Amino acid sequence: MEFSEHIKTANVEDVVLRRPFHPPMQGTLCVTGHHLLFSNRDGDSSRLVLLLLRNIDAIEKRPSVSSGTITLKCKDLCVLQLDIPGMEECLNIARSIEYLSSLDIVSDMYPFFYRPLKLSLQDQWGLSSPEQNYAQMEELQDRWRLSHVNKDYSVCPSYPPAVIVPHSIDDETLVKVAKFRQGGRFPVLCYYHRKNGMVIMRSSQPLTGANRKRCREDELLLQAVIDGSGLGYIIDTRSNQQAQQARMTGGGFESKSSYSCWKRLHRQLERGKVLQESLIKLVEACGDHSHSVDRWLSKLENSKWLSHVHTALATAGLLAECVERDGHSVLVHGSEGTDATLLVSSLAQLILDPNTRTLDGFLGLLEREWLLAGHPFQHRCAHSAYSHARLRLEAPVFVLLLDCVWQLARQFPLAMGFSEPLLLRLAREVYASDYGTFLCNSDQERCAAGVKERTHCLFQFLLKPSEREHYSNPLYEPTELAIWPSIQPQSLQLWRGLFLRWTQHAVHLEKAQEELRNLVIECRGAS
Amino acid sequence: MARAVFSSPNAAAAANILVNFAVLHIATWSRKSQFNSALIASRESLKMEPLAVTLLPGEERVIDKDIMYICPFSGPVKGKVFITNYRLYFKSDPSVTLNVPLGAIGRVEKMGGASSRGENSYGLDITCKDMRNLRFALKQEGHSRRDIFDILFRYAFPLSHGLLLFAYLSQEKYEENGWSVYKPMEEFRRQGLPTDKWRITFINDNYELCDTYPTILVVPFKATEEDLRKVSTFRSRGRIPVLSWIHRENQAVICRCSQPLVGMSGKRNKDDERYLDVIREANGTAKLTIYDARPSVNAVANKATGGGYEGDDTYQNAELVFLDIHNIHVMRESLKKLKDIVYPNVEESHWLSSLESTHWLEHIKLVLSGAIQVADKISGGNSVVVHCSDGWDRTAQLTSLAMLMLDSHYRTLRGFQVLLEKEWISFGHKFASRIGHGDKNHADQDRSPIFVQFIDCVWQMTKQFPTAFEFNERLLMTILDHLFSCRFGTFLYNCESARDTNEVRSKTVSLWSLVNSDSTSYLNPFYTPESSRVLYPVASMRHLELWVTYYIRWNPRIRQQQQSPVEQRYMELLALRDEYLKKLEELQLTDSSPNSSHLSNSSASNAASPTQHINHLHTPF
Repeated sequence: MEFSEHIKTANVEDVVLRRPFHPPMQGTLCVTGHHLLFSNRDGDSSRLVLLLLRNIDAIEKRPSVSSGTITLKCKDLCVLQLDIPGMEECLNIARSIEYLSSLDIVSDMYPFFYRPLKLSLQDQWGLSSPEQNYAQMEELQDRWRLSHVNKDYSVCPSYPPAVIVPHSIDDETLVKVAKFRQGGRFPVLCYYHRKNGMVIMRSSQPLTGANRKRCREDELLLQAVIDGSGLGYIIDTRSNQQAQQARMTGGGFESKSSYSCWKRLHRQLERGKVLQESLIKLVEACGDHSHSVDRWLSKLENSKWLSHVHTALATAGLLAECVERDGHSVLVHGSEGTDATLLVSSLAQLILDPNTRTLDGFLGLLEREWLLAGHPFQHRCAHSAYSHARLRLEAPVFVLLLDCVWQLARQFPLAMGFSEPLLLRLAREVYASDYGTFLCNSDQERCAAGVKERTHCLFQFLLKPSEREHYSNPLYEPTELAIWPSIQPQSLQLWRGLFLRWTQHAVHLEKAQEELRNLVIECRGAS
Repeated sequence: MARAVFSSPNAAAAANILVNFAVLHIATWSRKSQFNSALIASRESLKMEPLAVTLLPGEERVIDKDIMYICPFSGPVKGKVFITNYRLYFKSDPSVTLNVPLGAIGRVEKMGGASSRGENSYGLDITCKDMRNLRFALKQEGHSRRDIFDILFRYAFPLSHGLLLFAYLSQEKYEENGWSVYKPMEEFRRQGLPTDKWRITFINDNYELCDTYPTILVVPFKATEEDLRKVSTFRSRGRIPVLSWIHRENQAVICRCSQPLVGMSGKRNKDDERYLDVIREANGTAKLTIYDARPSVNAVANKATGGGYEGDDTYQNAELVFLDIHNIHVMRESLKKLKDIVYPNVEESHWLSSLESTHWLEHIKLVLSGAIQVADKISGGNSVVVHCSDGWDRTAQLTSLAMLMLDSHYRTLRGFQVLLEKEWISFGHKFASRIGHGDKNHADQDRSPIFVQFIDCVWQMTKQFPTAFEFNERLLMTILDHLFSCRFGTFLYNCESARDTNEVRSKTVSLWSLVNSDSTSYLNPFYTPESSRVLYPVASMRHLELWVTYYIRWNPRIRQQQQSPVEQRYMELLALRDEYLKKLEELQLTDSSPNSSHLSNSSASNAASPTQHINHLHTPF
């Protein structure tokens, strides 16, 4: 595709850029296929501001006779303003930004053009494969096997080519189970608890429908999961009522009569539109600088964001409790099994499994439980909190995950091997990135689009020695214990580092955090 | 459940007088017959069980009793309560212990009657000043609670019963003498005083000019003693504008005082007007800024009772700014509301809006932003005068917080003690009235958590500038615990004259003796001194936090999180590093290479204090 046909005005002189923490700057604005480039030459020194067009969530233009103002609201929640001389130039640039910031075709996106000198396309893409994951967990291999039934993505388009299932269940059975689960997402193993051999499984909802259809193979599979241990839990991320209603549209739940050894627990997690609107309200409250009547806490409460954090952590805690304290295996699902399901299962793993709390382990967890497990990143993160576009499939599930992880890290500041800057970086990259990692909606799509051959991998990059230091927690002290978060309301806090990142005052806090970090690093260095 | 309220909630004024005079006249309480039974009981019990807690020197057991503690978190627990002249200590078998200084008790009530029905309905209900309540249940037969109630009531409120506060009974000895921490002349010299514009006066040596001020004051060089006397007639309770702090470079000053006695008729006082103008002139400030801490409505209303504010027309070279901070009654109610939503159970369903409706954080915000304005003016080279009504509550908050922002000395462990001794204790914040030490009148309208609110503001600052303060959260908690405990003389009485009369400095121990004899426990390992930096905290609701580890610390779930693991881990690393450096030094003795000498140099700057024993953060009583 030629980007140039969408760039009528490529250069404008004497543009004024206004952005948080910096005095207004005058210079030259330049539009390219993927970036806004702003440069100012002030005597000998020249400064350059580069903005990825993909990062722009909403654009507001106010043209007047001889000039115009464009306000850019970014997906990383930063708000910028450009004063452009010339009405026509202003409109041209706005049009270019509007078009180029929301490209639909994956291979047009910037990661396919990003070619930094220090990285090579020959570098490994991704951290680990399902095969490697399976091979590492020897202790589960006598009861669990790696199935390649999905090697061409035909059984479940959103699953990876290989998944872990009970040994006694053959591929033929899996194919039948897949037909009984929405989107073909049959129950697969996502976590094996070494201490007691219990597992966490995840799937989508069973397609029981209004007629309470049954599937013998599905029941067999679940029976094989709890083989011997007698009882399992199903955590349904919908309310009982929602699960009942789902039957009307062909979905459903595991009834007591058909799955007698499984006990269902319903915990309603919000998703989709509700979650997106919550984020919008929250960001609105954070950006509201009217000093008249400060109703900040009410606004914060009304956004319900923290109550979503609460529910997610509470449900993950419940799941972890079932596994660790009650000693039972758990199947978790909602409807599609690609959002709340992944949120809960990955948080539970962080609570239980020390290996997921290292920098490598955490990125590995994200790769397994979000990328390979088929969280539709492209749909969910097309727009962020500022967009006026009609909501379609957007939902900040991944941001909610990062927030929950931040809460865990805040409550257990020594237990995590990674730092807040990592979470902030991920929160930014998931919406707009130089890397291909968060492109597309599934492994299948990524393979088809050539993401793994033609883009660089963010996770590999973050683990390079140059980056690793910055994203590690210098106070990290591994603990084998489960970390049970407090979900009391006063224990949960607004993630200021993300949501108040651009308010004037976060700066000195950030400096102080950096100072603390340097102190600790210096101290460690000496010892 | 029927409750028999025992204490009478009035006689507030009488209580004040009691506070000042009771200790001089030790009542011969042992002769009073109604307490004989209690005494006998206590003597018997002394023979019985060894106490699980080490008593302080001077602390004596009074009574032991089997009792049921109605724990709001884990239900009723059987155990034994020990009451000494200093504390209430409860021990039960698995692990519940309570260790409450009697000074922290605000109110003791009988709960239920001899004929009350229901389990555990007969007993005692104790309201504490430190954000908790305690309930004990006893057997209904034989007036089983009478002796313990009487004893508790006497020892928790000694001043109401002609007894001495525990601070006068304590025999504690410390290496350090905390009373020598603050020497006014030394502190003024540190600030660079006197100068050619500011002089030190002893006019108040006998508390004749103002009985609630300290003896040593700093006033404009140009103002004569006669001028000071004239001004004192026009300021509420004679609290004339005096210097609290001077900026070394630009010579801008913070002065504090009380409201002018303008009254309904709009009285003027030429001497007062001239005096403020002299303050303005001292460093060439174009317009003196007067910060009136009150909301303007309240300042106007004060005219009705003879007070008021500096009008534009009368004080021509001054601008008046109202800071909208509410009075002691509003603050008291606000903290009461906060207690309601955090104790015993945290209001979960609408936590944030409940928190908002207490307005506690909003008040914190107003106090902090007032202090920021003061500090900002001073940094800009303009002198300011701060007052409220009497100049001992909001004024103390504002001046001391502004000084904390401006002067890094006050952010050190010793400097902070000086700040409290100076701005709060010596300038007559009415600790006795605000806290009600040893006084049974729990409903006294003079009580208010102004000092708690100030410490909260300091905590907010330490949160926002984690490396700027030499002391840690533990110091703040310890200060608040002993604000109530009556174990030390530091926070007793309303002003210096009362302290002199009651010989506080010779007869009691200072809290700073405890702190400075064990200073490593109160140090912030992350402290990095930056002498010239002015701290401007963010006084926006978005950046203020509820001090959960203080206000909700009795909740066992919160207590788990209380100790800062980050701090502890860092201390461990520091200790490790020091160990390593010691080894390195040993190696150096045998082999001196250039590299190693470089390393040992860098250590000197930050060889802070590796503590071998890192205590858990429970408050020592």
